[in-house]
Amino acid sequence: MATDEITWSEQLYRIFEFEPGLRITLERIATRVHPDDLHTLGEMVDRARRDAGDLHYEHRLLMRDGSVKYLHLLAHGAIDNDGGSVYTGAVQDVTKRRHAEESLVQARSELAQATRVTSLGVLTASIAHEVSQALAGIVTNASTCARMLATEPPNIEGARETVRRTIRDGNRASEVITRLRDLFRGRDLVVESVDLTETTQEVIALTLSELQRNRVILRPELDDKLPAVLADRVQLQQVILNLLRNASDAMVDIEDRSRELLIKTEPDGDDHVRLTVKDVGGGFVPQDMDKLFEAFHTTKKEGMGIGLSVSRSIIERHNGRLWATLNDGPGATFSFSIPCRPASVGAGDPVAIRTATAMDFHQVVRSL
Amino acid sequence: MTIQRLLVSVVDDDESVRESLPDLLKEFGFDARTFSSAQEFLNSDCVGKTQCLILDVAMPGMSGPDLQRELKIRRQEIPIVFIKARRDENIRPRLLEEGAVECLVKPFSDTALLEALNAALRVN
Repeated sequence: MATDEITWSEQLYRIFEFEPGLRITLERIATRVHPDDLHTLGEMVDRARRDAGDLHYEHRLLMRDGSVKYLHLLAHGAIDNDGGSVYTGAVQDVTKRRHAEESLVQARSELAQATRVTSLGVLTASIAHEVSQALAGIVTNASTCARMLATEPPNIEGARETVRRTIRDGNRASEVITRLRDLFRGRDLVVESVDLTETTQEVIALTLSELQRNRVILRPELDDKLPAVLADRVQLQQVILNLLRNASDAMVDIEDRSRELLIKTEPDGDDHVRLTVKDVGGGFVPQDMDKLFEAFHTTKKEGMGIGLSVSRSIIERHNGRLWATLNDGPGATFSFSIPCRPASVGAGDPVAIRTATAMDFHQVVRSL
Repeated sequence: MTIQRLLVSVVDDDESVRESLPDLLKEFGFDARTFSSAQEFLNSDCVGKTQCLILDVAMPGMSGPDLQRELKIRRQEIPIVFIKARRDENIRPRLLEEGAVECLVKPFSDTALLEALNAALRVN
């Protein structure tokens, strides 16, 4: 690697569409690499020069006719007799597979969007309906009350009854809102022994293709010797997923620096574990710090402003803390810390899980 | 000698409407009866006596507009004041075209209701 000497197979010349026998240099390779993926190439070379570790990368080529190829690169590093690193590897053209994957991802995200839009529509209609029913009662009862008091002599008994109903309907409207909030918050926890690092890895595996598509460079710093926590694995995954998505979304317009996303797990004191997600996006306005975690507060065009509010509720239900800080450099850092053995959550009493759905919501408001 | 009050019938599946409207209607000086469904109203002895019908648009089973059509078929010309919970669907023009006197969005004020009732009874 020190000599940067590169030997290619015929097949590789064909993939890159270079004249067979042309001397291959990193610069020449770079002319074919998709401009958006040049950082991957740079990172790969740095890595190879640094520690001769194995390489496992995916990047794109932008061909002269404007078409895009997806390459999968696997290389094994070794130290030769002179102390330099030598790489032997295989490059695979995975364009077809990636196109299939992308259409799958596309279909999946369209489905998710459709589901979200539908449930939002259902929710809005239900809220409007239930609340306006209660408001109708309030207005009618209060009007009746005013008229009963205006007669000579005033109908005190009737007025008292209509006031009672007004109060009841007011409470009913407020209960709709409270239940809505509870529902988004989710309810019962199903606790089990959870390895935060393992859980984080599962979420990363789920989001990797999405992050790559958004040209996010994920830097995991995961502690594989973390103490286990008693927690609801699925709910923690929701929180981690939410933080990762937010970080990725926050960097979507960043073009002047690489979109680095650090995700870290570590012990926090003797009896807590901590997860940190750090992005280099636009950050947030310091005055908005408190609002970040409020329901229906959002800075995204297509967001509902539910994610962080729900995430915080989940973490608090684990007796933990979720907070945000602004980085010294660009971007923001979101962290949560949860106790390994929360006082109020016993391992002996696992409870049924409940997932909030629009259907649930409808039943909740209907049952009021 | 007692003066016969005019009968206003309320058909709405929402209980709080059925509970609150009769008191207001009595304050206005009307007699009031309530029904939780269109069918219940049709089966009652009030169809011929009702001078004005306050009718919810969206109900399970037979809807408000369904009942409006049914009454037309039965040649029961009762003036109708529609009430509805949702503002977004604009069915008011169609309802008025079909002969309804007014269509109020919940929550409505007592004066708006009284005006609609007066208009209905003038029609009558």
